[in-house]
Formats: sequence, structure tokens, C-alpha cells
Amino acid sequence: MKKEVHLCLFSLSKHIIIKLFRIMKLTLLLTVIAVMNLSAATYSQEKKLNVNFSSATLGKVFKAIEEQSDFNIFYKDNQINTNIEVNLNMKNATIKDILDKAFKNTNLSYTVIDKIIVITDNGMAKFKVTGTVFSAKTSETLIGVSIKEKGTTNATITNVNGAFTIQVSSPNAILEITYLGYERQEIPVNNTSDFTIKLVDKVTDLGEVVVVAFGTQKRTDLVGSVTSVKMSDLKIPSSNLTTALAGRVAGVIAYQRSGEPGKDNADFFIRGVTTFGYKTSPLILIDNMELTTQDLARLQPDDIESFSIMKDATSTALYGARGANGVILVTTKQGKKGKAQLSFRVENSLSMPTSNVQLADPVTYMKMANEALLTRNPLNPIFYSSERIANTGALGSNPYVYPANDWKKIMFKDNTSVQRTTVNLSGGGDVAKYFISGSFNKDNGIMNVDKRNNFNNNIDLKSYTLRSNITINVTKSTEVIVRLSGNFDDYQGPIDGGAAVYQDVMRTNPVLFPAYYPVDAQHQFVKHILFGNYDVGQYLNPYANMTKGYKDYSSSLMLAQLEAKQDLSFLTPGLSFRTMINTNRNSYFDVSRSYNPYYYALNGYDQLTNTYGISGINETTGTEYLGYGGSTPTLSSTLYMESMLNYSRVFNEKHSFSGLLVYMLRNQLSPNAVDLQQSLPFRNLGLSGRATYAYDSRYFAEFNFGYNGSERFYQTKRYGFFPSAGLAWSISNEKFFKPVKSVVSNLRLRATYGLIGNDAIGSASDRFFYLSNVNMNNPGRGATFGQFETGAFGLNGVSISRYSNTDITWETSTQKNLALEIGLFNKLNIQAEYYTQDRKNILMTRAGIPVTMGFEAPIRANVGAASGKGTDLSMDYSQYFNNGISVTFRGNFTYATSKYTAYEEPKYDEPYRSRIGNSIYQQYGYIAERLFIDDKEALNSPKQNFGVYGGGDIKYLDVNKDGQITTADMVPIGNPTLPEITYGFGFSASYKSFDCSAFFQGLANESFWIDPVATAPFVNYVYNGEVANGLYQNQVLKAYADSYWSEDNQNVNALWPRLSPTVNSNDAQPSTWFMRDGSFLRLKQVEIGFTLPKKLLVKLHTSNFRLYANATNLLTFSKFKLWDVEMGGNGLGYPIQKVFNIGLSVSFN
Amino acid sequence: MSTITDVYLKYQTRSIMKKNILIGVFALIILIVVSSCNKFLDVVPDNIATLDNAFTMRTQAEKYLFTCYSFMPHDGDLNSDPAILGGDEVWRLASFGGYFNIAKGLQNKVSPIGDNWTYLYEGIRDCNIFMENIDKVPDMDAVEKSRWIAEVKFLKAYYHFYLVRMYGPIPMMKVNIPIDASISDVKIYRDPVDSCFSYITKLIDEAMPGLPVIIEDPQQELGRTTQAIALTFKAQVLIYAASPLFNGNSDQAQLKDNKGTQLFNQTVSIAKWDSAAVACKKAIDMCQQIGLKLYYYNPSFQQYHLTDTIVTQLSIRNCLTVNWNSEIIWANRNSIISGQQNASMPYVDPLRSDNYGVRGDNSAPLKMAEMFYSQNGVPINEDKTWDYNNRYTLRTAGYDDRLYIRNGSTSAYLNFNREPRFYADLGFDGGIWYGQGQYNDKTDLTLFSLDCKHGQANNSSPDRGSVTGYFIKKWIHYQNIINVTVPSVTTINYFFPITRLSSLYLWYAEALNESQGPTQEVYDYINPIRTRAGLQSVESSWTNYSSNPSKFTTQFGLREIIHQERLIELAFEGQRFWDLRRWNEAAKVLNAPITGWDGRQILAADYYRPITYFNQKFGSKDYFWPIQDGNINTNRNLVQNLGW
Repeated sequence: MKKEVHLCLFSLSKHIIIKLFRIMKLTLLLTVIAVMNLSAATYSQEKKLNVNFSSATLGKVFKAIEEQSDFNIFYKDNQINTNIEVNLNMKNATIKDILDKAFKNTNLSYTVIDKIIVITDNGMAKFKVTGTVFSAKTSETLIGVSIKEKGTTNATITNVNGAFTIQVSSPNAILEITYLGYERQEIPVNNTSDFTIKLVDKVTDLGEVVVVAFGTQKRTDLVGSVTSVKMSDLKIPSSNLTTALAGRVAGVIAYQRSGEPGKDNADFFIRGVTTFGYKTSPLILIDNMELTTQDLARLQPDDIESFSIMKDATSTALYGARGANGVILVTTKQGKKGKAQLSFRVENSLSMPTSNVQLADPVTYMKMANEALLTRNPLNPIFYSSERIANTGALGSNPYVYPANDWKKIMFKDNTSVQRTTVNLSGGGDVAKYFISGSFNKDNGIMNVDKRNNFNNNIDLKSYTLRSNITINVTKSTEVIVRLSGNFDDYQGPIDGGAAVYQDVMRTNPVLFPAYYPVDAQHQFVKHILFGNYDVGQYLNPYANMTKGYKDYSSSLMLAQLEAKQDLSFLTPGLSFRTMINTNRNSYFDVSRSYNPYYYALNGYDQLTNTYGISGINETTGTEYLGYGGSTPTLSSTLYMESMLNYSRVFNEKHSFSGLLVYMLRNQLSPNAVDLQQSLPFRNLGLSGRATYAYDSRYFAEFNFGYNGSERFYQTKRYGFFPSAGLAWSISNEKFFKPVKSVVSNLRLRATYGLIGNDAIGSASDRFFYLSNVNMNNPGRGATFGQFETGAFGLNGVSISRYSNTDITWETSTQKNLALEIGLFNKLNIQAEYYTQDRKNILMTRAGIPVTMGFEAPIRANVGAASGKGTDLSMDYSQYFNNGISVTFRGNFTYATSKYTAYEEPKYDEPYRSRIGNSIYQQYGYIAERLFIDDKEALNSPKQNFGVYGGGDIKYLDVNKDGQITTADMVPIGNPTLPEITYGFGFSASYKSFDCSAFFQGLANESFWIDPVATAPFVNYVYNGEVANGLYQNQVLKAYADSYWSEDNQNVNALWPRLSPTVNSNDAQPSTWFMRDGSFLRLKQVEIGFTLPKKLLVKLHTSNFRLYANATNLLTFSKFKLWDVEMGGNGLGYPIQKVFNIGLSVSFN
Repeated sequence: MSTITDVYLKYQTRSIMKKNILIGVFALIILIVVSSCNKFLDVVPDNIATLDNAFTMRTQAEKYLFTCYSFMPHDGDLNSDPAILGGDEVWRLASFGGYFNIAKGLQNKVSPIGDNWTYLYEGIRDCNIFMENIDKVPDMDAVEKSRWIAEVKFLKAYYHFYLVRMYGPIPMMKVNIPIDASISDVKIYRDPVDSCFSYITKLIDEAMPGLPVIIEDPQQELGRTTQAIALTFKAQVLIYAASPLFNGNSDQAQLKDNKGTQLFNQTVSIAKWDSAAVACKKAIDMCQQIGLKLYYYNPSFQQYHLTDTIVTQLSIRNCLTVNWNSEIIWANRNSIISGQQNASMPYVDPLRSDNYGVRGDNSAPLKMAEMFYSQNGVPINEDKTWDYNNRYTLRTAGYDDRLYIRNGSTSAYLNFNREPRFYADLGFDGGIWYGQGQYNDKTDLTLFSLDCKHGQANNSSPDRGSVTGYFIKKWIHYQNIINVTVPSVTTINYFFPITRLSSLYLWYAEALNESQGPTQEVYDYINPIRTRAGLQSVESSWTNYSSNPSKFTTQFGLREIIHQERLIELAFEGQRFWDLRRWNEAAKVLNAPITGWDGRQILAADYYRPITYFNQKFGSKDYFWPIQDGNINTNRNLVQNLGW
């Protein structure tokens, strides 16, 4: 708006007007003129002039007119070519006649307002075009889109409704439409005066401005490795943002192991993992505040302004010690100046497991259970009589006497629904801008609810978010931003959680007892459900366990942030200062309420009359009323401050410099500590800086450093300095490249090198390595003396959980990144990056210290090292056709490997036992040859040292040929458990009001293991850390029932070895037998959408109205069939969900 | 014009002021930042606990003393004492794991079952730390300090001994190797067995003077080490050093380390038995001096005037389960036997057989039942009056049997006419169980008996009840009650005795017989035990009833008698496991099958047929634990035990 207008003035009264016109804008001037026009329109018609010019310039003509009359002629002297030669010979002509003739062969036109003549270039005003610009993807109108007539400076931008009006020089003009983050479009006007223009997203080159650490950079200026993610990619029908990451971003390895609402966070790693410390996950920053995966999961895509992933040393250096595993930086939206805009989105989904684990039928179960007992010991009494086997599931047999439960059917529904709503309101004026949003998601579990209880034991997870970002312009150079947000989860569901319910089903005998008995005459007065059980009621009845009560949990994260920005250009141009203070409070608590189920067991059956009796097993311990319990609430509070000085300036149009210095400080406190050292505050401190230089948009250089302090290390080892630097060369901006630029539109090389530190080493509970951790009151190390048990004298003892070591210090990562960017025909963009990471000083336990030293805690040192390397590739292609179809294809590929380069281990006799050179996620195990044919073969083979074994048990290879199978025979087996390859590809297309997209995602180079204990038939399997609710008896997987070694069928390649009533530890060893390929390809998402055309939108008073339907996880391609392969070894838990979703998104102005 | 200039100037001054304020604020921030940098990261307060705090005052040092005691392995506990489930003394359902895997032949060097190597070396390090620092404690008198030092020395000796018993020759950690020692300094060697034993006895000798003769404050200190305990322990160490496993054991001749050091001495030394005998006598004298004597059940008030039969049985049962009875030299105050009692108890009262707090999981194999003497005090296969060959035939109990076997019930001949220790130690089908609230033995039907056939109270569920048909009554205090309320069982807990006086007597008898051959003194230390067990003397029993009447007059014969006496007297007390190894006899005994009655049967004729539950295997390597493979990998100077 500060366009300078130069006016040529040819009047006597110049002096007075000069000042006025200099200041006034042209538009204003015209308005003034128009008003004047009304009062004095006659002069121009009465005044007669004489002109006689041959080959004179227009300038001379104008001067003559001004000299002969009172007319003043105005024009923009850089727009009007006054050197055009004209021939004029006219007498007593009106000004109109003269000018008409003078301009006859030019594009010029004029307006006469009283005595003022304004000359304009007619090229701009021949044809009026109006239109509205939409996003092809979301069908939302776009504000501020630049519309330019090609080859001219004639341009305009769209208003808040996405509408524009432009006068073009001719009906054949071409419109150039450009907008940040979208593909440039050229549209021939072709005599059309009203356009609906859809802009297609730019795919990899996601916006010309990229959010980087503590600032933004132009994508074309980037040196480091930063990927921004388009939020539209992350809009999947899930209440969990992290599940959308897999396959979307080059450089991110992600997978999801569980589908349980509230516990379905995906695991994700940036460029794999190159440390064997405890912290492998990236740093997550939301509006610069370090938060957790859970907080990221609950973020609403509609609230996100930008989502950047930083992968190399240069881009993460500023985060110093926290950024070694990569950084995810998310900023939330802020208000934009303009009318209030209200948008909302509602979605309703139907979700169901992608696949269900198939179980053996009850009769097979019983037969196999008997076989398991007898095959291991012929003396064992069998458990199921043949009479019982014959009657179970048989037509007409009593289902309460001969139960044959399909526990899954009893416990679960086929599908469930999920509702999601988000609303946001934004707008603002000169003083303040605002963005306010709220969301409400309701995820329902898939469990059945017993109508006889008056409470809901199914999962009902409600999550709410509320966010308010207010920007206030305090002065012209000072801006204050206040961000307040809260995430709240309210959960009601099964006491042990959804996964446990699934796990319970997988370990309950299907024939021992029914879920409950119907009320009989004898028990007609009891008020409780007659749950089934057996013997003395020690078994787990999963139905009783699920329906006996429910748990409420409530978690909240509240965040308040104050940010102030001060422009310091009065000190020196380009200098600014920003400071931010941020605090958050996290809390969680749960309460559960349940009754003790009454169990009943069968106590007699008369086959003739088909009558049975039942009797209570636990009449003294059952309750009809609810009791309650809960766990210790968890809380935490974090304070974060940063202050930043920023400098950015361009000299001589070619040299651009920028510099940044940031100081940050973080303090976290949590009350849930187990010892004094862990109760102390967690602190970080850092000073970081960046300097960049770019020359002529061709050569770029960047230097970053982080100087960090960590409380975990001894004073002399406390601070670390981590520098990094990078260079980039935009070859396509070189002069010599001009000839091929129409083909190769972009060619760019980048290289970075730097160090990053990591203080998250050892384990999170190991706070201060330089201090010993002594427990002076350990009851486990105490003793008691005295004559009697009561009244005796006891003292707790002293134990050491860490020996002090003042030498322990930072783990450092040396990272290199090489990148190549190629753009072809402005349509195809390819980005390829190659990186290496070398970690050294990884903390690990000294292997050479024998236990005869008697240390209670491991002795550790910074002696480990690992390296990683890999490639990130991304590619996109977009094509806009004149018939209105636009198509975008894109794909990405990530390959990330790791290996140990230094690892302290004993000097093994067998070289293959060394971890060095193997992946950090490499598993070791025995090579399973096959199953033993019979006991005789087992006896004559090398001795296996894991417990009883014989025919039908797994035969392992004696790798070192020492005649027995010991740990020395364990070799690296399979691929790493962390996938090395992640990829995704898909397309999106739009035509008029319709759009559709599909996206595939896959993993490769990953192995996982079927848990041979958790899936072992008939055993009482208790998960690690779980408190057993009763005696479990594993079900038999149908796959096992179909293929196992038996004495009748000595199949040495059967899926399951010889049956056993208890865990056979020989068969439960880590081995290749239960190793499976974790690779898969899945149709992650398909979507079709329909956006109302503009005419209808106006009638509905909306600016956008889009209806869409999508689905996730529709198809999976994998060799593994027992359960959803993405769940890996966790297959008996809550399955990953397939979701069908319809949604509506509406915006109002 | 002038007004404009004024405004401009004002603006200038204001912005200069603003500038100054801003610069001031920056300077302040930078100052605060720079000055607080280090302080900000010093989150650790000064008075954080370190090891030094343990020795700044007496009460803290006492905690460290107790820490040293805390490593005492829990004798008698089937989850910590390999001697309970690792041999052939106690049997369970095949599905049980833990130490029972040793009995099932699953010992391995990858992760040795019951590997105490790490645990006890930690204990030894703590003992050494205690001794390095105890002098720093200011507020202690010299007497107490020397007592504590003596106790810790004793514990250090005991932990070393425990390892020697398991692993054979081991490295002696006489002092702690510093934490910053070089890697080569920490790679230590195993010490030969003779050095091990002599270092252990040296420690005991050093400890002796500081130890109290008796515990003055039994309410608070009973269980801590005394001179009697130390002397008895020294006797035990020397008995082990003299026993065939460690005394010229040629099977271990090949065990040499990488320097060529032979770890087992290769010449049998009778002198070792002499010094063992001397040590035993010294310990016996001390025990007598402080008033220890064999226990007899003799309550001050007797409501029921019990028969002698029951009194004798109670004398036998209670010498284990009654705390601090007169023959307990050393009870492990760390090992309280409570839950293990109901886990081993049968359903004594058939009306309470729905109380699943009772499990009856631990059983005795048939060979344990056959080991006990006949009522005449000689082995059943030697007793001229006892029909050994027909021991599995059926017989019906009569009135005379009523205090042993339920009058009128049918049982195997094996269960008839046995010595009192058989009935005191074992419960079986039809066998009388004194207790469970029925204390009057006068009337025929008041005492409980067990029902163990298929479907009966003690054999109703496949996952509970004795496998072999024999319950270990000896572990169960006679006043335990199975309650009506499920799963409540009232147990009288006891501290498991490590050494009873009868054990010491039998060591002495053994040492004397080995060093001098049969003498009257040998008989004199066996006979009191037999008397308490309701038997005649060795001399008269063998002379009158044995098919080998002169057996007790030869060293070899007497050795067998002493061994069997010891196995019977100390049955189910975790001694058999070690004794069989010490005598180098385990290979003979532990290669026999584990048998029991056929629990699947309902009828007596079918039930009383022995069936084999397991074929145990014991090789020469099984005399010692394997050193965990990983420990050998870490320290290649440790040589693995033979056969592993």
C-alpha cells in the first residue's frame, strides 16, 4: 500500500497541489476528482484549441494543451509512454477531439474532469474478470491469493471471501495465480468473466516458507534438512494425530502396535535409532514448548499452522542437547486480520478390527488339552472325559453343563462408532487477532455391556481441547501473543483397560464354565449375576472381570504461554527481540469401582431330565455392592523460558545475512518420585545461535551452535558445545543454467555437518551420574532379630543403586547430510537426502568387570558407539489439466539402518556373538532347524540346555559344534525389530466439485516374533508386570490347532511343537522358529469429497461446504495372517482398527 | 511546523528512553543468566545420602551390620534353598520349576538354576565395606565394635563357605578390590579348596573372641551369632574339608586353572578328620556349657495326658518346628517358614477340604519312606522281623496301630511297624495326623487321618495334593489349623534351624569313626538321638534285630549306620542334598527312580502299587554348580567346573 506515486504536474497552481498529491494515494485522488467533476463539467466542452504537430511526442502535445488552456494533465510517468509520436493538425477542436485523435493508435485513454485530464494506460482496463479461488484439496476459499495478468504488473489479491476482480488488457489475457504453498497456475481468460479457480497444493515443496528452529526460512534458502508436512495429509479419521505419520514423511519411521482408544499412539523415530540409550524418540515441540507424544496425539490438525520435521545437525543444533534424535516442531494457528471466520467439522466413524485372531473350536481345544497332558507324561490323568467331549457343542446338549463359549462373541461387538467435532473461530483487526478453537472427540470401545449392571464398562473416551491464541499489537513495533490451551481426556472403561480384555479372552478356557448361569428356582432371590467358574473359583472369568466394574480416568494438560516480540530496527535495521515464557501442568488420576463377582459352579447334572444344579463358590467374598480403588495420581509442572535476539538484513539486494542468539531454560518438577534424587527438579540450560549468509539466491552458508548445560553431569563435564555448519548451492539460479531452466526448473545441492549432544543417557531414573545413589533405608537389605516374630528388633539396610562416576558426560552424535533437489518442468519435484550419524560416548555397562567384585549396581562409562546411515527420498508430481482436472501423485521412501561400532562385551570365542557391526535392533536367537522327529532323535542330538525336550520339540543348530546348545549358539537372526524401510505413496485428484485421494503405506526389513509363551496353549500366562486376576488358561490359536507335532502326525515342520500343559522352555527360546517377516503394504487411506459450488455456497451463506467420506486400513498385504501384522509381537492385544468415516466441514464468514 | 517538530522530538526522546530501558533489561537478563548458569544446574542439595553416612554414627552403622546379615540365604525355603527341592528328598508336580528343575536334571551353565554367585559376592563386598569403615564410627564402645566386627567376619566366612559348598574352589575376596582397579586386577583366579577352607576357618578363629557366649537380650538379638554358632560352623567347615568330596577327590584331578594350579588336593588326609573331630568336640562342649540339650516334648501343663507314642512323635516333630527349642544351636532368623506350611499341608480335616489355602504341594518320594528304620531301629531291609520283600502288599490296621494308621483301614505293609520318626515325619493315606485341633489321643476316632486316594479330600484336583502319596508332616507345626474361612490357615511360624545339636552330634560321631574307627564314644553320640526317637541303642538294635548284627563294629559298617542315621534324623531339613554330595555318594543315590503310590486309583489294591514318576540322572559334574557361562566370558581366568 505504500506504493509511491509520481505525478507530473503541468499547472500554475502546482505548488499547492504537489504536497497534497505526493501524499495522497491515487485512488483517493480519483475520488476527489470525481466529486469535482459533478460541479464543473462544461469547460471541457466549451474550450476550443488549435494544435499543429507533425512527428511530435505526446509530451509536447500535452504541454501545448496545458499552455493554451486551463487544463491540467495528470498521468503516472512511468506508465505512460510520452514519447509516442503523433501527427495532429486541428483547429478549434475540443479537447475531446484532440485527445481522441492523439490516442487513436495507442492503448491510452483519458478522463476529463472539469479542468483536469487524467491519462491512463488502456491496456489495463479492457476486460473485467471476477472469480473465487479455492483450495482443490479442502475446497476452502483462499485469502490473499495473488492474481496477475501475465506479462504485466497488473495484479490483485483475493479478499477474505476468496474473491477477486481484475481488469485485464484483453479478453485473451492470461491470468497467473500464485499462492504460498500451492502450485502456480496459468489460466487463459478466453472471454470468460467469472472464474472458479482451484489451487492444487504443492507437494514436497510445501510452501515457500518453512518453519525452522526459532524462526522461518524460505524453502529455497534452506541448508539443513527440514521437511514440512501439509496438515491436509494428517487429517485422517482418528482421534490420534500420531497414527497419521506413517509413510507420510520421508525420514520418519512410524508404526502402530495397538488400536485401543487412548493407547493407540504410534511409535515414530526420525531417521531410525542410532543410540542404545533410553531416549530414542524425537523432541516434540508444540509452539516451542517441549511436550510428549501424548500431547502431540491429541493435537487437532485443524489447529495446526505448520508441522516441521528436522532431521540433521544443522536444523536441530539450536535445540542442543535435546535434538539428537530429531525434532518435530508444530506451531498452532494464529488469527488473521479480517472478518470473523467460523469453521466447523463433524465426523462420524465406524471402526472395527482389521483382523481377528482365529481360535480353535471348543472340541478341538479339549482334545488337544488331553493330548498335551498325555504326550508329556502318560501317567497324567486326562482332564476332559470322552463323554464331555462328545456332548460339548453337540446339538441338544445343555450349554450350561457342556459350555462351549466363543468368548470373543460374548465379550465384543462387531464394530463401534466414533464421533469427532472441531470448531474454530478466527479473525482480527489492527489491534488484535484471535484464533479460538475447540474440539470434542468421543471414541467408543468395542466391548459388550451387561444390561443387568447399571454402569457402562465399555470404553468411552471423551477428549476435549480448547485453544485460544491471541495476538496483540501493543505498539507498531511490539507484539504480544498469548496462547492458552488445554487438552482433557475423560475415560470410562474396563478396569484393566481394553487390551487386557482382549488378552483375557485369549487366555480363558472355552469349555470350563459358561460366562454366567441363568437364574434358576433355587437362586431366584439373588440380586447378582450368577457368573460361572470352576473348582474353587480360582479361574478367570473374563466376562465377570470385564463387567464387574469400570474405571474412570481423567487426564489434563494445561498450557499457558506469553510471547513478546519487539522490533529493534531503531537500533539497527533488521534487529528484533523475542522472549517467551511458558508453563504447563499435567495431571492424571483414576478411580475404579467394582464389585466382587459371585461365582457359581455346576454341582450335579441329571442327563435323563436334563436338569443341573449350581452352587456358589465364593459366598463369603462376593459382593453385590461396588467397592472402589485407584492409583496414585501423577502430576507434573514445567516452566520454560527463552529469549532470542534476531537479525536479518539484505545488503545490495544480493547479500542477505541473518543471525540469531537464543537463550533457554527449562525446569520440570514432578511429585511422583521414588527417591530423593528423582524428586529433584529436571533442568536444562542452553545458549544457541545461528548465522546465515546467502549470496544472490545462489550460494548459501549456515552456521549453528548449541551450548548446553546438563544437571546430570559433574561440574567439569557439565557443558557441551555442539557446532554445525552447512552449505547449499542453487545451481538452477546460475546464469549458465538459464537455457535448461524450462526443463530443469530447480536444481539444488545441500550439505551439512555437525555435532549434536544428548544427555538423556542411561535411564531416566538415573539422575546424577556423578553421585552415588545410596538407599539408607532399604527393607530388602534389612534383618530382624529376636525371640518372637512380634516385638522383634529389625532394621532396614543400606543398598547402592549407583556408584558415583564424575567422568560420565554427553553422548555426541556427528551427523552428515547430503541433499539433492531436482524440479522438472515445474511439475515433478524430487528430493533425495543421504545421511550418516556417528554416535559416540554412549553410556553402557562395563563388560569386563566380573561379578566377583560384588558390585550391587552396574559400572558404566561412555564407551559405546553406534552409527546410522540412510536415505530419505520424496517425490511429487502434479498436473493441472485445462478441463479442470488436477492430479497429484506423490511418494516417499525412508531407509534407515544402524549398527554398533563400539560395544563392550566379553571376548567371545565365537565371532558371530559380537554385536559390533549389527543393528541396534538386531535380535539374537537360536537357529531352529525343525522339530525333533521323535524322542530318540532328541537324545542323540546335541544337548539343549533349556529344560525338558523330546520328539516334537524344536531342534536348534549347534552353531559352534561343541555338542550342546548354549548361549554361545545364539546368532543374529532376522531383520531388526525396528523397520529399516518405511514408504508411502498415493495420489489425489479433483474435478469441479469432486475430489478423491488414496494413500498406501508400507514397512519392510522388519522382523518380529510370535510370543511362544503368550500363545502357548493351556498355560497360565501372566504378562510382564501384570497382577493376575485369576488363573488363566491360554486358548489354542486355530493356526496351531491346524498344524502341530503330535505322536500320530510327526510333522517336523508343523507350526507349533509338541503340545504341553505348561510352558516348554525349550520351545520358548528366542529362535528363528517363531520369527516372522514384519513387512507389509497397506491401503492406509482413501477419501472422496464433494464441495458445494460457489453459487450454492452464497445461498447457504457459507464460504465452504465440503462433505467427504474416507476409510483407513482397508486393505493389508502381508505374508503374516494370524493377526494384523503391524501389531508385531503384540498380536493378542487390542486390534488395530479399520475405520469408515463420513465428515462435513463448513466455514462461515 | 513547530508542533510537528515538537512531536518528533518527543518521540525521539521517548524512544531513546525506551531504548535505554530495553538495553537495561537485556543487560539485566544477561547478568542474571550468566551469574545463575551454574547455580541453576546445581539442583542437588548438599546433604544427599552417600555411603559415608552409614558410618557417621552407631545407629547408622548398625543398619550396615544388618545389611551384612541380610544376605543370609533362606535355608528351608523351597524358593531359595536348593537343598529342599534340588535333590530327591521332596517331590512335586512335574510342572513346578525353580530349584525343582535341578532335581529334574535341567541344571545348565547358561543360566544356572539357583546361581548364588552374584548374590553372595555382593554380600561379601558389603562385609568388606563394613570392615573398612567401622573404625570411623565415633560413638561406639570398643566391646560392641569388636563384637560387630566379629559378626561380620563370621558372615563373610559363611558366605564364602556357602559358595564353596556350591561351586567348589572359588576366589576368596579377602579385601575389596577398589572400584577404579584396572581390568587385569579384577580378573581374579579361583583359590584351591584347601586355601578356601583354611581362609574360612581363619576368619572364624578371628571372629571367635569378639563374639558373645550367649545372647544377653533374646527379645532383640536372638538369631545373631554367638561363640557356639561360630564353633559349630567351624566344625561344619572342617567336616566338609575332611569329607571325600573335598579330601583327595580324584574325580576332580583335572580341574586346573590356566596357570596350571590344581584346585582340588589329590591325597586323602585322615588328619583332616582329626581336626574336624576336635572342632566338633569343642563345639559340643560350648553347647553344653550354655545349656543346650536334645529336645523332649514336655509341656508344663498337659491337658490330655498323651500316650508315649504321641509324645515321642511330638519330640521329633517339635525339635524342628518349635522356635528356639533346647537343641537349636543356630536358627536362620531371616528364614521364617510360614506360607510353606500350608503349601505343604494336607487336608487333615476332610470337612474343610474346600479350603484352597491348603495345597499339599510338597511330597516325599517312596525312597524317603523306605529309608526310615523299622520299629526296631534298623534298616527295613536288614530287619530280621520285618518282611521287606512284601512291603507293597496290603494289610489292614488293627487297634494296636491306631495311633499310626486309622484302625480298620487298609494300607501297604511299608507303612506298618516303622520307627516313630517315620510317623512323625510323614503323612500318608490312612496315616494318623495329630493336630488340627484334635489333641486328645485317648479315644479311637478323635485323631484325624488322611484320605489320599483318587477323588478323596487329598486327591480331588490334579493340581494339588501329594504326588507320591506322602506328605511332609515334619514341616508342619502340630498346632496349625485349617480354618473354615477360605483360604485362611492359621500357622505357627518358625525360624528354620540351620544346625541342631543332633546334627553336631552326628558330625562328631562321623569324624571320630573316620579318624579312629568304631569306639564307644561314637555310639555315645548316636544313641541319645535314637533314644529321643524312641529307639534302642545302635549296639542293641543291630545285635538283636539286624541280619548283619556286627555291622556297627566295623568302620565301614558304622559309617553306613551313621550316614543313614543322619539322613533319617535330619530328613527334610536340607541336609541330605549336601551330605550325599559331601560323601561322594550322590551318584549312587540320585540315579534311582522317583516312585510313589498311584494317585489315579480309587481302590487300595490299585493305589498301593509303586509307579515311577521320574528317572533322575546324576553325573559327576552335578556335584558342583556350573559357573555361569557369562561369568567365564567376563573373566577368562575362572576355569569352568568339570563336565560343564
